[in-house]
Amino acid sequence: MKMSPSRGILMFAHNNAEIDYFKLAVVNSLLIQKHLGIKDITVVTDSHSYAYAKKELGKKFIDNAINNIIFVEKDINFKRNNIRTFKDTSHTAKNLSFYNLDRADAYNLSPYDETILLDADYLVLSNTLNQCWGHNNELMMNWKWQDVMFERKFDGLNRLNDFGITMYWATVVYFRKTDYVQSFFNCARHVRENTQFYKELYKWPGRIYRNDYSFSIAAHMIGGFVDKAIPQLPTTLYKTFDTDDISSAEDAQTLLLLLEKPRSPGDFILTKWRGVDVHVMNKWAINRISGAMLKYVSTTTKSKTRKSRRKKETIAG
Amino acid sequence: MSIRLNKALEFANYRVTLNNQSSALKAKTQSLLSYSINGGTFSIDLALITFCKQLLDQNISEVVLLDEYENPIKVEVESFYDEILSRYFEVTNDYYAEYEKLRKARKVHKILDLDENVT
Repeated sequence: MKMSPSRGILMFAHNNAEIDYFKLAVVNSLLIQKHLGIKDITVVTDSHSYAYAKKELGKKFIDNAINNIIFVEKDINFKRNNIRTFKDTSHTAKNLSFYNLDRADAYNLSPYDETILLDADYLVLSNTLNQCWGHNNELMMNWKWQDVMFERKFDGLNRLNDFGITMYWATVVYFRKTDYVQSFFNCARHVRENTQFYKELYKWPGRIYRNDYSFSIAAHMIGGFVDKAIPQLPTTLYKTFDTDDISSAEDAQTLLLLLEKPRSPGDFILTKWRGVDVHVMNKWAINRISGAMLKYVSTTTKSKTRKSRRKKETIAG
Repeated sequence: MSIRLNKALEFANYRVTLNNQSSALKAKTQSLLSYSINGGTFSIDLALITFCKQLLDQNISEVVLLDEYENPIKVEVESFYDEILSRYFEVTNDYYAEYEKLRKARKVHKILDLDENVT
């Protein structure tokens, strides 16, 4: 008998001094359960992030959202050195640790035959990602992206540098466990372990290590040094930036976004974003609406459970 | 600031909000018109629907189509046609309803379907 392949979602969540990534992962897990109907969710974290979340949310609540937690040790040196400026709109900026070292280990860490690797701040508001399962392409990532403030343009985000290779976003990655995909992740790890060399070779800007860079370089190398060799996901990556904010969560699939005007920094327009997944770069903004979001998704989950219990009782009766 | 200038700025704000909301609506429609089957992904459009109807009229039951990635995907024509047609109607009808609401909105809070006090 042919066994159906196991399918699941993988996220990484390492808190820093200000941002509770684990809570973001919990919110997103409940959104995933609601919109994608997937219960197999793995979160890779460290003991400190988990302990904080357990204190804040409770073990039962976490277990209800995430059914598999993998603990890894943090590389303290990397944590101290990979410092990035995080913005909570243009009004506030903070330099904080950006711990993203283990994402290139996703292939080895994933317990599933087919995996969708997600950023904890990529809010799943639709079932679009279900289109990936069983796809002919064994590895897919986004190079097509679109700012939710459609008028704004950031040409610098399309390539690693002005004359460089196409930038792939490691925000959402679909992969199957095959030799080819394993080679891709080995290549990404190789870039991670030889950051200085590849930074010089591919001339990426800034000093921090980003998975977008190592995944883009791995895609270029493993694709035979051809541009856009790894296929695009069936969906465009929609993004809001850290200069934007979220006004409120209207329901489990609608956000009211405050988007910074391109020609007037610090001023915003409102946009209602409904039923399309979105990458939210302002982590504080998600944390601010996470309470409302949790209420919407957990109410639905609870009422569903109640309904199915009632149904079972009726059948039993 | 003069009343006239205030009004002009208010209108500019309304236009930017309207344009962005229309683009958001288009993005949602585009995303919903993507359909994956048998390991391939298709963008549902008039050409695909018409071609499938043509195949059905010629009593062709199975066909290989090139998907978004130019990969050959074998599909059963009748069920494929039914699915893409119903999806197309569902998505475009929703789009029409939302678009009409936007078209008639003359204030920012109406565009966003909000209480006047919120904006």
